[in-house]
Amino acid sequence: MNNFYIKATADSPEVNFDFDNHILHIAGEAYPENAVKFFYPIITNLNNYLQATSEREIAVNFHLIYFNSASTKMLHSIFGLLNKNAQSNMNHIVVNWHHDEEDDTVLEFCMELKEDFHWLEFITIGTISAH
Amino acid sequence: MLEPLLMNQSRAGISEIEAQYITGSLLKHVPFVTPKHTNEDVLTVFDEGPDLISLAVTEQGKPVGLINRNIFLGGMTKPYRRELYARKSCVAFMDKEPLIIEQGVSIQTLSLQAAETSGKILNDGFIITDDTGNYLGLGTGQDLVKVISYLQAEKNRLVMESIHYASIIQKSFLRASKEDMDSVLKDYFMHWEPRDKVGGDYYFCRKFEDGFFFALIDCTGHGVPGAFMTLIMASFLDHILTADNRKNPALALSMMNRKVKSALGQTGQCDGDFHQAKTIESPGEEHSDDGMDTAFCWFSTQNNQLVYAGAKTSLFYIIPGSHEANVLEPDRKGVGYVDTAIDYTWTNKELALSPGMCIYLTTDGVIDQIGGPKHIAFGKKRFIDTLLESHGKPMAEQKTLLLQGFYDYQGKQKRRDDVTLAGFRL
Repeated sequence: MNNFYIKATADSPEVNFDFDNHILHIAGEAYPENAVKFFYPIITNLNNYLQATSEREIAVNFHLIYFNSASTKMLHSIFGLLNKNAQSNMNHIVVNWHHDEEDDTVLEFCMELKEDFHWLEFITIGTISAH
Repeated sequence: MLEPLLMNQSRAGISEIEAQYITGSLLKHVPFVTPKHTNEDVLTVFDEGPDLISLAVTEQGKPVGLINRNIFLGGMTKPYRRELYARKSCVAFMDKEPLIIEQGVSIQTLSLQAAETSGKILNDGFIITDDTGNYLGLGTGQDLVKVISYLQAEKNRLVMESIHYASIIQKSFLRASKEDMDSVLKDYFMHWEPRDKVGGDYYFCRKFEDGFFFALIDCTGHGVPGAFMTLIMASFLDHILTADNRKNPALALSMMNRKVKSALGQTGQCDGDFHQAKTIESPGEEHSDDGMDTAFCWFSTQNNQLVYAGAKTSLFYIIPGSHEANVLEPDRKGVGYVDTAIDYTWTNKELALSPGMCIYLTTDGVIDQIGGPKHIAFGKKRFIDTLLESHGKPMAEQKTLLLQGFYDYQGKQKRRDDVTLAGFRL
Protein backbone atom coordinates (compact mmCIF):
# COMPACT_ATOMS: atom_id res chain seq x y z
CA MET A 1 0.00 0.00 0.00
CA ASN A 2 1.22 3.51 -0.81
CA ASN A 3 2.10 5.58 2.17
CA PHE A 4 0.58 9.00 2.39
CA TYR A 5 2.41 12.21 3.16
CA ILE A 6 1.46 15.89 3.20
CA LYS A 7 3.93 18.60 4.14
CA ALA A 8 2.93 21.10 6.81
CA THR A 9 2.05 24.69 5.88
CA ALA A 10 1.30 27.68 8.12
CA ASP A 11 -2.36 26.71 8.34
CA SER A 12 -2.35 22.97 7.67
CA PRO A 13 -0.70 20.06 9.47
CA GLU A 14 1.93 17.56 8.51
CA VAL A 15 0.28 14.23 7.77
CA ASN A 16 2.40 11.12 7.58
CA PHE A 17 0.47 7.87 7.21
CA ASP A 18 2.98 5.05 7.19
CA PHE A 19 0.49 2.39 6.19
CA ASP A 20 3.19 -0.30 5.82
CA ASN A 21 4.06 0.00 9.48
CA HIS A 22 0.56 0.91 10.63
CA ILE A 23 1.67 4.24 12.08
CA LEU A 24 -0.49 7.29 11.41
CA HIS A 25 1.04 10.62 12.35
CA ILE A 26 -0.49 14.09 12.28
CA ALA A 27 1.22 17.19 13.67
CA GLY A 28 1.08 20.97 13.60
CA GLU A 29 -1.94 23.18 13.13
CA ALA A 30 -5.18 22.81 11.20
CA TYR A 31 -7.07 25.89 10.09
CA PRO A 32 -7.06 25.67 6.30
CA GLU A 33 -9.32 28.03 4.36
CA ASN A 34 -11.41 25.06 3.20
CA ALA A 35 -11.26 22.23 5.72
CA VAL A 36 -13.44 19.79 3.73
CA LYS A 37 -11.20 20.14 0.69
CA PHE A 38 -8.04 19.77 2.72
CA PHE A 39 -9.18 16.69 4.63
CA TYR A 40 -10.83 14.94 1.70
CA PRO A 41 -7.69 13.16 0.36
CA ILE A 42 -6.63 12.33 3.90
CA ILE A 43 -9.94 10.66 4.70
CA THR A 44 -10.10 8.85 1.35
CA ASN A 45 -6.61 7.40 1.74
CA LEU A 46 -7.21 6.46 5.34
CA ASN A 47 -10.49 4.83 4.41
CA ASN A 48 -8.86 2.72 1.69
CA TYR A 49 -6.16 1.61 4.09
CA LEU A 50 -8.59 0.77 6.86
CA GLN A 51 -10.81 -1.28 4.60
CA ALA A 52 -7.83 -3.38 3.57
CA THR A 53 -6.56 -3.85 7.11
CA SER A 54 -7.75 -6.18 9.83
CA GLU A 55 -6.53 -7.67 13.10
CA ARG A 56 -3.60 -5.29 13.33
CA GLU A 57 -2.01 -3.02 15.90
CA ILE A 58 -2.43 0.50 14.56
CA ALA A 59 -0.85 3.54 16.21
CA VAL A 60 -2.22 7.03 15.72
CA ASN A 61 0.25 9.68 16.86
CA PHE A 62 -1.61 12.91 17.40
CA HIS A 63 0.54 16.03 17.76
CA LEU A 64 -1.79 18.85 16.71
CA ILE A 65 -1.61 22.05 18.75
CA TYR A 66 -4.39 24.01 17.04
CA PHE A 67 -7.47 23.08 15.02
CA ASN A 68 -10.33 25.43 14.24
CA SER A 69 -13.97 24.41 14.45
CA ALA A 70 -14.23 23.28 10.82
CA SER A 71 -11.12 21.11 11.20
CA THR A 72 -12.39 19.78 14.53
CA LYS A 73 -15.41 18.42 12.68
CA MET A 74 -13.18 16.71 10.13
CA LEU A 75 -10.99 15.26 12.88
CA HIS A 76 -14.11 13.97 14.58
CA SER A 77 -15.00 12.23 11.31
CA ILE A 78 -11.54 10.69 11.11
CA PHE A 79 -11.77 9.27 14.63
CA GLY A 80 -15.27 8.08 13.85
CA LEU A 81 -13.88 6.20 10.87
CA LEU A 82 -11.13 4.66 13.01
CA ASN A 83 -13.59 3.73 15.73
CA LYS A 84 -15.91 1.96 13.33
CA ASN A 85 -13.01 0.12 11.78
CA ALA A 86 -11.58 -0.98 15.13
CA GLN A 87 -14.90 -2.67 15.75
CA SER A 88 -15.64 -4.08 12.31
CA ASN A 89 -12.13 -5.20 11.29
CA MET A 90 -10.90 -6.08 14.78
CA ASN A 91 -7.98 -3.70 14.60
CA HIS A 92 -6.49 -2.56 17.88
CA ILE A 93 -6.13 1.17 17.44
CA VAL A 94 -4.15 3.14 19.99
CA VAL A 95 -4.29 6.91 19.84
CA ASN A 96 -1.23 8.53 21.39
CA TRP A 97 -2.49 11.98 22.23
CA HIS A 98 0.47 14.31 22.63
CA HIS A 99 -0.19 17.65 24.26
CA ASP A 100 1.63 20.21 26.33
CA GLU A 101 1.03 19.63 30.06
CA GLU A 102 -0.60 23.06 30.33
CA ASP A 103 -2.68 22.78 27.17
CA ASP A 104 -6.18 22.10 28.44
CA THR A 105 -7.74 22.96 25.07
CA VAL A 106 -6.11 20.12 23.13
CA LEU A 107 -6.68 17.73 26.03
CA GLU A 108 -10.36 18.61 26.24
CA PHE A 109 -10.93 17.47 22.66
CA CYS A 110 -9.31 14.15 23.50
CA MET A 111 -11.74 13.71 26.40
CA GLU A 112 -14.66 14.35 24.06
CA LEU A 113 -13.41 11.77 21.59
CA LYS A 114 -12.88 9.29 24.40
CA GLU A 115 -16.50 9.73 25.37
CA ASP A 116 -17.72 9.22 21.80
CA PHE A 117 -15.49 6.42 20.53
CA HIS A 118 -15.24 3.41 22.80
CA TRP A 119 -13.41 1.16 20.40
CA LEU A 120 -10.32 3.33 20.41
CA GLU A 121 -7.70 3.29 23.13
CA PHE A 122 -6.57 6.81 24.02
CA ILE A 123 -3.27 7.41 25.77
CA THR A 124 -2.63 11.02 26.72
CA ILE A 125 1.01 12.00 26.78
CA GLY A 126 1.60 15.34 28.47
CA THR A 127 4.89 16.85 27.53
CA ILE A 128 6.75 19.49 29.48
CA SER A 129 8.15 21.74 26.86
CA ALA A 130 11.66 23.10 27.16
CA HIS A 131 10.67 26.76 26.88
CA MET B 1 -24.43 26.71 -14.35
CA LEU B 2 -22.73 29.02 -16.80
CA GLU B 3 -21.14 27.49 -19.87
CA PRO B 4 -17.35 28.00 -19.77
CA LEU B 5 -17.57 29.86 -23.04
CA LEU B 6 -20.16 32.22 -21.61
CA MET B 7 -18.13 32.62 -18.44
CA ASN B 8 -15.18 33.81 -20.50
CA GLN B 9 -17.36 36.43 -22.09
CA SER B 10 -18.81 37.58 -18.81
CA ARG B 11 -17.31 40.95 -18.08
CA ALA B 12 -18.25 41.78 -14.55
CA GLY B 13 -16.22 43.66 -11.96
CA ILE B 14 -12.90 41.99 -11.39
CA SER B 15 -13.02 39.99 -14.61
CA GLU B 16 -13.73 43.23 -16.42
CA ILE B 17 -10.49 44.76 -15.24
CA GLU B 18 -8.64 41.76 -16.57
CA ALA B 19 -10.45 41.85 -19.88
CA GLN B 20 -9.33 45.41 -20.51
CA TYR B 21 -5.77 44.24 -20.52
CA ILE B 22 -4.79 41.91 -23.32
CA THR B 23 -1.39 41.25 -24.82
CA GLY B 24 -2.16 43.83 -27.52
CA SER B 25 -2.17 46.60 -24.90
CA LEU B 26 1.59 46.03 -24.45
CA LEU B 27 2.26 46.33 -28.19
CA LYS B 28 5.15 48.52 -29.33
CA HIS B 29 5.58 49.08 -33.03
CA VAL B 30 9.28 48.66 -33.59
CA PRO B 31 11.47 47.89 -36.62
CA PHE B 32 12.05 44.28 -37.66
CA VAL B 33 14.39 42.50 -40.05
CA THR B 34 14.16 39.46 -42.35
CA PRO B 35 16.70 36.66 -42.89
CA LYS B 36 17.82 38.56 -45.97
CA HIS B 37 19.23 41.26 -43.72
CA THR B 38 22.83 40.88 -42.65
CA ASN B 39 24.29 41.28 -39.20
CA GLU B 40 25.74 44.57 -40.43
CA ASP B 41 22.16 45.72 -41.05
CA VAL B 42 21.14 44.64 -37.58
CA LEU B 43 24.03 46.60 -36.11
CA THR B 44 22.78 49.69 -37.94
CA VAL B 45 19.21 49.19 -36.65
CA PHE B 46 20.45 48.83 -33.06
CA ASP B 47 22.66 51.90 -33.52
CA GLU B 48 19.73 53.94 -34.78
CA GLY B 49 17.38 52.76 -32.05
CA PRO B 50 19.27 52.95 -28.75
CA ASP B 51 16.09 51.98 -26.82
CA LEU B 52 15.54 48.88 -28.88
CA ILE B 53 16.03 45.88 -26.61
CA SER B 54 15.26 43.23 -29.20
CA LEU B 55 14.68 42.92 -32.90
CA ALA B 56 12.26 40.47 -34.44
CA VAL B 57 13.16 38.50 -37.55
CA THR B 58 10.22 37.80 -39.81
CA GLU B 59 9.76 35.75 -42.95
CA GLN B 60 6.79 36.58 -45.18
CA GLY B 61 5.26 38.53 -42.34
CA LYS B 62 5.55 35.70 -39.79
CA PRO B 63 7.99 35.95 -36.89
CA VAL B 64 10.77 33.34 -36.90
CA GLY B 65 13.13 34.61 -34.21
CA LEU B 66 14.23 37.37 -31.89
CA ILE B 67 17.65 39.02 -31.69
CA ASN B 68 18.55 40.33 -28.24
CA ARG B 69 20.63 43.51 -28.36
CA ASN B 70 23.09 42.57 -25.61
CA ILE B 71 23.66 39.04 -26.84
CA PHE B 72 24.07 40.31 -30.39
CA LEU B 73 26.48 43.11 -29.54
CA GLY B 74 28.38 40.84 -27.15
CA GLY B 75 28.81 38.33 -29.93
CA MET B 76 29.74 40.79 -32.63
CA THR B 77 32.35 42.70 -30.66
CA LYS B 78 34.50 39.63 -30.02
CA PRO B 79 37.73 39.56 -32.12
CA TYR B 80 37.23 38.74 -35.84
CA ARG B 81 33.48 38.20 -35.37
CA ARG B 82 32.62 41.30 -37.29
CA GLU B 83 34.78 40.21 -40.20
CA LEU B 84 33.27 36.71 -40.05
CA TYR B 85 29.60 37.52 -39.60
CA ALA B 86 28.96 41.06 -40.83
CA ARG B 87 27.83 40.01 -44.27
CA LYS B 88 26.02 36.84 -43.18
CA SER B 89 22.30 36.52 -42.52
CA CYS B 90 21.11 37.92 -39.23
CA VAL B 91 19.63 34.55 -38.21
CA ALA B 92 23.09 33.63 -36.81
CA PHE B 93 22.51 35.45 -33.52
CA MET B 94 18.76 35.11 -33.19
CA ASP B 95 16.85 33.10 -30.62
CA LYS B 96 14.86 30.64 -32.73
CA GLU B 97 12.30 30.01 -29.99
CA PRO B 98 11.13 33.36 -28.72
CA LEU B 99 7.79 33.75 -27.00
CA ILE B 100 5.21 34.57 -29.69
CA ILE B 101 1.75 35.66 -28.51
CA GLU B 102 -1.37 36.75 -30.35
CA GLN B 103 -2.54 40.23 -29.43
CA GLY B 104 -5.93 39.00 -28.18
CA VAL B 105 -4.45 36.72 -25.51
CA SER B 106 -5.19 37.74 -21.92
CA ILE B 107 -2.43 39.15 -19.74
CA GLN B 108 -2.99 36.24 -17.37
CA THR B 109 -2.28 33.64 -20.07
CA LEU B 110 0.65 35.68 -21.28
CA SER B 111 2.18 35.86 -17.81
CA LEU B 112 1.76 32.11 -17.31
CA GLN B 113 3.52 31.42 -20.59
CA ALA B 114 6.18 33.98 -19.77
CA ALA B 115 6.82 32.25 -16.46
CA GLU B 116 7.45 29.00 -18.31
CA THR B 117 10.20 30.55 -20.44
CA SER B 118 12.50 30.70 -17.39
CA GLY B 119 12.63 34.46 -17.24
CA LYS B 120 14.00 34.89 -20.75
CA ILE B 121 11.23 37.25 -21.69
CA LEU B 122 12.11 39.64 -18.86
CA ASN B 123 15.27 40.48 -20.83
CA ASP B 124 14.25 39.84 -24.42
CA GLY B 125 10.60 40.73 -24.42
CA PHE B 126 8.21 38.81 -26.67
CA ILE B 127 6.73 39.02 -30.14
CA ILE B 128 3.12 40.05 -30.62
CA THR B 129 1.19 38.91 -33.71
CA ASP B 130 -2.31 39.43 -35.06
CA ASP B 131 -4.74 36.54 -34.91
CA THR B 132 -3.41 35.05 -38.15
CA GLY B 133 0.11 34.93 -36.77
CA ASN B 134 1.46 37.94 -38.66
CA TYR B 135 4.05 40.09 -36.92
CA LEU B 136 2.75 43.26 -35.28
CA GLY B 137 5.49 44.35 -32.91
CA LEU B 138 7.13 43.59 -29.56
CA GLY B 139 6.22 43.70 -25.91
CA THR B 140 8.78 44.20 -23.16
CA GLY B 141 9.18 42.25 -19.95
CA GLN B 142 9.21 45.48 -18.02
CA ASP B 143 5.80 46.52 -19.37
CA LEU B 144 4.43 43.07 -18.58
CA VAL B 145 5.60 43.27 -14.97
CA LYS B 146 4.12 46.76 -14.71
CA VAL B 147 0.71 45.73 -15.97
CA ILE B 148 0.61 42.57 -13.81
CA SER B 149 1.42 44.62 -10.70
CA TYR B 150 -1.20 47.15 -11.64
CA LEU B 151 -3.87 44.48 -12.19
CA GLN B 152 -2.97 42.83 -8.89
CA ALA B 153 -3.16 46.11 -7.04
CA GLU B 154 -6.43 47.00 -8.73
CA LYS B 155 -8.01 43.64 -7.88
CA ASN B 156 -6.81 43.92 -4.29
CA ARG B 157 -8.22 47.38 -4.03
CA LEU B 158 -11.63 46.23 -5.29
CA VAL B 159 -11.71 43.28 -2.92
CA MET B 160 -10.56 45.36 0.05
CA GLU B 161 -13.06 48.12 -0.68
CA SER B 162 -15.79 45.57 -0.93
CA ILE B 163 -14.80 43.95 2.37
CA HIS B 164 -14.53 47.34 3.99
CA TYR B 165 -18.08 48.13 2.96
CA ALA B 166 -19.23 44.70 4.07
CA SER B 167 -17.82 45.50 7.49
CA ILE B 168 -19.92 48.66 7.63
CA ILE B 169 -23.01 46.57 6.91
CA GLN B 170 -22.09 43.97 9.49
CA LYS B 171 -21.46 46.64 12.13
CA SER B 172 -24.75 48.32 11.37
CA PHE B 173 -26.49 45.00 12.03
CA LEU B 174 -24.91 45.03 15.48
CA ARG B 175 -26.06 48.54 16.28
CA ALA B 176 -29.53 47.62 17.52
CA SER B 177 -28.06 45.05 19.89
CA LYS B 178 -25.56 47.57 21.18
CA GLU B 179 -28.33 50.07 21.88
CA ASP B 180 -30.36 47.50 23.79
CA MET B 181 -27.30 46.53 25.82
CA ASP B 182 -26.72 50.19 26.66
CA SER B 183 -30.23 50.48 27.99
CA VAL B 184 -30.36 47.24 30.03
CA LEU B 185 -26.81 47.08 31.41
CA LYS B 186 -25.10 49.76 33.45
CA ASP B 187 -21.66 48.22 33.67
CA TYR B 188 -20.62 46.06 30.75
CA PHE B 189 -18.20 45.65 27.88
CA MET B 190 -18.68 44.11 24.48
CA HIS B 191 -15.58 43.44 22.40
CA TRP B 192 -16.09 42.28 18.84
CA GLU B 193 -12.96 41.81 16.74
CA PRO B 194 -13.28 39.88 13.49
CA ARG B 195 -9.96 38.55 12.22
CA ASP B 196 -10.43 39.78 8.65
CA LYS B 197 -12.49 42.99 9.02
CA VAL B 198 -15.71 41.00 8.80
CA GLY B 199 -16.27 37.65 10.43
CA GLY B 200 -18.37 34.81 11.74
CA ASP B 201 -18.61 36.08 15.31
CA TYR B 202 -21.72 37.94 16.29
CA TYR B 203 -23.72 39.08 19.26
CA PHE B 204 -27.35 39.75 19.70
CA CYS B 205 -29.29 41.53 22.41
CA ARG B 206 -32.99 42.28 22.62
CA LYS B 207 -34.71 44.14 25.42
CA PHE B 208 -38.16 43.15 26.68
CA GLU B 209 -40.28 44.62 29.45
CA ASP B 210 -39.45 41.75 31.81
CA GLY B 211 -35.80 41.23 30.94
CA PHE B 212 -33.45 40.84 28.02
CA PHE B 213 -32.23 38.12 25.70
CA PHE B 214 -28.54 37.88 24.88
CA ALA B 215 -26.72 35.58 22.47
CA LEU B 216 -23.03 35.26 21.70
CA ILE B 217 -22.60 33.53 18.37
CA ASP B 218 -19.69 31.92 16.56
CA CYS B 219 -20.71 30.91 13.04
CA THR B 220 -18.68 28.54 10.89
CA GLY B 221 -15.78 30.18 9.19
CA HIS B 222 -14.54 33.71 9.34
CA GLY B 223 -14.14 36.48 6.81
CA VAL B 224 -16.82 36.99 4.20
CA PRO B 225 -18.43 33.51 4.37
CA GLY B 226 -18.56 33.81 8.16
CA ALA B 227 -20.21 37.20 7.86
CA PHE B 228 -22.88 35.80 5.51
CA MET B 229 -23.69 33.22 8.14
CA THR B 230 -24.05 35.83 10.88
CA LEU B 231 -26.62 37.72 8.82
CA ILE B 232 -28.61 34.53 8.24
CA MET B 233 -28.51 33.74 11.95
CA ALA B 234 -29.42 37.29 12.94
CA SER B 235 -32.52 37.34 10.78
CA PHE B 236 -33.65 33.91 12.04
CA LEU B 237 -33.10 34.95 15.62
CA ASP B 238 -35.13 38.11 15.07
CA HIS B 239 -38.05 36.02 13.82
CA ILE B 240 -37.85 33.44 16.57
CA LEU B 241 -37.76 35.87 19.44
CA THR B 242 -41.09 37.43 18.63
CA ALA B 243 -42.68 34.43 20.30
CA ASP B 244 -42.64 33.66 24.02
CA ASN B 245 -39.70 31.29 23.70
CA ARG B 246 -37.23 33.99 24.69
CA LYS B 247 -37.64 32.69 28.23
CA ASN B 248 -36.72 29.23 27.02
CA PRO B 249 -33.28 29.48 25.34
CA ALA B 250 -33.02 25.72 24.84
CA LEU B 251 -36.21 25.79 22.82
CA ALA B 252 -34.97 28.80 20.87
CA LEU B 253 -31.83 26.81 20.02
CA SER B 254 -33.94 23.90 18.74
CA MET B 255 -35.97 26.25 16.59
CA MET B 256 -32.81 27.83 15.20
CA ASN B 257 -31.42 24.37 14.51
CA ARG B 258 -34.47 23.45 12.45
CA LYS B 259 -34.46 26.74 10.59
CA VAL B 260 -30.77 26.64 9.74
CA LYS B 261 -30.82 23.00 8.69
CA SER B 262 -33.77 23.43 6.36
CA ALA B 263 -32.57 26.77 4.97
CA LEU B 264 -29.14 25.36 4.11
CA GLY B 265 -30.38 21.93 3.08
CA GLN B 266 -28.51 20.24 5.92
CA THR B 267 -31.36 17.99 6.87
CA GLY B 268 -29.93 14.62 5.81
CA GLN B 269 -29.68 11.71 8.20
CA CYS B 270 -27.07 12.41 10.77
CA ASP B 271 -25.62 9.40 12.42
CA GLY B 272 -21.89 10.01 12.67
CA ASP B 273 -21.13 8.25 9.38
CA PHE B 274 -23.18 10.47 7.19
CA HIS B 275 -20.74 13.31 7.32
CA GLN B 276 -17.87 11.07 6.29
CA ALA B 277 -19.73 9.24 3.60
CA LYS B 278 -20.89 12.46 2.08
CA THR B 279 -17.42 13.95 2.08
CA ILE B 280 -15.83 10.85 0.69
CA GLU B 281 -18.30 10.23 -2.06
CA SER B 282 -18.64 13.66 -3.48
CA PRO B 283 -15.87 16.07 -2.62
CA GLY B 284 -16.37 17.98 -5.83
CA GLU B 285 -19.85 19.05 -5.01
CA GLU B 286 -20.18 22.03 -2.79
CA HIS B 287 -22.03 20.71 0.23
CA SER B 288 -22.50 23.09 3.04
CA ASP B 289 -22.04 22.05 6.62
CA ASP B 290 -22.53 25.31 8.38
CA GLY B 291 -23.97 26.34 11.67
CA MET B 292 -23.06 28.08 14.87
CA ASP B 293 -21.73 27.57 18.35
CA THR B 294 -23.55 29.85 20.70
CA ALA B 295 -24.80 30.70 24.16
CA PHE B 296 -28.43 31.82 24.43
CA CYS B 297 -29.28 33.66 27.65
CA TRP B 298 -32.51 34.97 29.05
CA PHE B 299 -31.93 37.49 31.81
CA SER B 300 -35.14 37.89 33.75
CA THR B 301 -35.04 41.21 35.56
CA GLN B 302 -38.39 40.34 37.12
CA ASN B 303 -37.20 37.16 38.84
CA ASN B 304 -33.49 37.99 39.02
CA GLN B 305 -32.77 34.83 37.20
CA LEU B 306 -30.68 33.75 34.24
CA VAL B 307 -31.72 30.90 31.98
CA TYR B 308 -28.84 29.71 29.82
CA ALA B 309 -28.61 27.11 27.07
CA GLY B 310 -25.24 26.59 25.42
CA ALA B 311 -24.19 25.05 22.14
CA LYS B 312 -20.47 24.49 22.70
CA THR B 313 -20.17 27.90 24.36
CA SER B 314 -19.61 28.17 28.12
CA LEU B 315 -20.82 30.92 30.42
CA PHE B 316 -18.47 32.09 33.17
CA TYR B 317 -19.62 33.90 36.30
CA ILE B 318 -18.06 35.26 39.44
CA ILE B 319 -20.04 36.00 42.60
CA PRO B 320 -18.84 39.20 44.32
CA GLY B 321 -16.33 38.55 47.08
CA SER B 322 -15.70 35.06 45.76
CA HIS B 323 -12.28 33.86 44.80
CA GLU B 324 -13.37 31.43 42.22
CA ALA B 325 -15.05 31.54 38.86
CA ASN B 326 -17.92 29.22 38.02
CA VAL B 327 -18.81 27.81 34.65
CA LEU B 328 -22.15 26.85 33.17
CA GLU B 329 -21.19 24.04 30.81
CA PRO B 330 -22.78 23.90 27.37
CA ASP B 331 -24.21 20.95 25.47
CA ARG B 332 -21.74 19.52 23.03
CA LYS B 333 -23.62 19.96 19.76
CA GLY B 334 -23.52 23.07 17.60
CA VAL B 335 -26.64 24.49 15.95
CA GLY B 336 -27.57 23.62 12.37
CA TYR B 337 -24.63 21.38 11.46
CA VAL B 338 -25.14 18.20 9.46
CA ASP B 339 -24.16 16.04 12.43
CA THR B 340 -26.66 17.72 14.75
CA ALA B 341 -29.98 15.87 14.56
CA ILE B 342 -32.96 17.95 13.50
CA ASP B 343 -34.75 17.05 16.75
CA TYR B 344 -31.70 17.55 18.99
CA THR B 345 -32.63 19.20 22.27
CA TRP B 346 -30.43 21.49 24.31
CA THR B 347 -30.77 21.93 28.05
CA ASN B 348 -31.65 25.02 30.04
CA LYS B 349 -29.57 25.84 33.09
CA GLU B 350 -30.82 28.33 35.63
CA LEU B 351 -28.81 30.66 37.77
CA ALA B 352 -30.04 33.02 40.48
CA LEU B 353 -28.65 36.47 39.81
CA SER B 354 -27.32 38.53 42.67
CA PRO B 355 -26.32 42.20 42.53
CA GLY B 356 -22.68 42.70 41.57
CA MET B 357 -22.37 39.30 39.94
CA CYS B 358 -20.09 39.28 36.89
CA ILE B 359 -20.95 37.28 33.80
CA TYR B 360 -18.57 36.61 30.92
CA LEU B 361 -19.00 35.00 27.53
CA THR B 362 -16.44 34.41 24.83
CA THR B 363 -16.10 32.62 21.50
CA ASP B 364 -13.31 30.07 21.00
CA GLY B 365 -11.15 32.74 19.34
CA VAL B 366 -9.78 33.79 22.73
CA ILE B 367 -9.38 30.41 24.40
CA ASP B 368 -7.90 28.62 21.37
CA GLN B 369 -5.48 31.37 20.31
CA ILE B 370 -1.92 30.11 20.07
CA GLY B 371 0.74 32.13 21.84
CA GLY B 372 2.96 32.37 24.90
CA PRO B 373 6.49 31.00 25.18
CA LYS B 374 5.29 27.45 24.46
CA HIS B 375 3.10 28.27 21.47
CA ILE B 376 0.06 26.60 22.93
CA ALA B 377 -3.56 27.71 23.24
CA PHE B 378 -4.48 30.54 25.64
CA GLY B 379 -6.73 28.03 27.37
CA LYS B 380 -9.69 28.14 29.73
CA LYS B 381 -7.55 28.16 32.85
CA ARG B 382 -5.61 31.24 31.83
CA PHE B 383 -8.87 32.91 30.80
CA ILE B 384 -10.44 32.24 34.21
CA ASP B 385 -7.29 33.35 36.03
CA THR B 386 -7.37 36.64 34.13
CA LEU B 387 -11.06 37.12 35.05
CA LEU B 388 -10.33 36.46 38.73
CA GLU B 389 -7.52 39.00 38.77
CA SER B 390 -9.65 41.82 37.45
CA HIS B 391 -13.30 41.09 38.32
CA GLY B 392 -13.45 43.70 41.08
CA LYS B 393 -12.78 46.52 38.66
CA PRO B 394 -15.29 48.38 36.47
CA MET B 395 -16.08 46.40 33.31
CA ALA B 396 -14.43 48.90 30.96
CA GLU B 397 -11.22 48.51 32.91
CA GLN B 398 -11.59 44.73 32.97
CA LYS B 399 -11.89 44.74 29.21
CA THR B 400 -8.60 46.62 28.87
CA LEU B 401 -6.85 44.23 31.26
CA LEU B 402 -8.30 41.12 29.60
CA LEU B 403 -7.40 42.26 26.12
CA GLN B 404 -3.95 43.42 27.18
CA GLY B 405 -3.33 39.96 28.64
CA PHE B 406 -4.67 38.32 25.51
CA TYR B 407 -2.68 40.46 23.08
CA ASP B 408 0.49 39.98 25.12
CA TYR B 409 -0.09 36.23 25.09
CA GLN B 410 -0.67 36.20 21.33
CA GLY B 411 2.56 38.13 20.90
CA LYS B 412 3.89 37.73 17.40
CA GLN B 413 1.68 34.74 16.62
CA LYS B 414 -0.90 35.11 13.88
CA ARG B 415 -4.51 35.63 14.95
CA ARG B 416 -6.19 32.28 14.32
CA ASP B 417 -9.87 33.19 14.53
CA ASP B 418 -12.40 35.94 15.18
CA VAL B 419 -12.45 37.14 18.77
CA THR B 420 -15.52 38.17 20.75
CA LEU B 421 -15.66 38.82 24.45
CA ALA B 422 -18.51 40.09 26.61
CA GLY B 423 -18.64 41.00 30.30
CA PHE B 424 -21.67 42.19 32.31
CA ARG B 425 -22.02 43.24 35.90
CA LEU B 426 -25.52 42.92 37.23
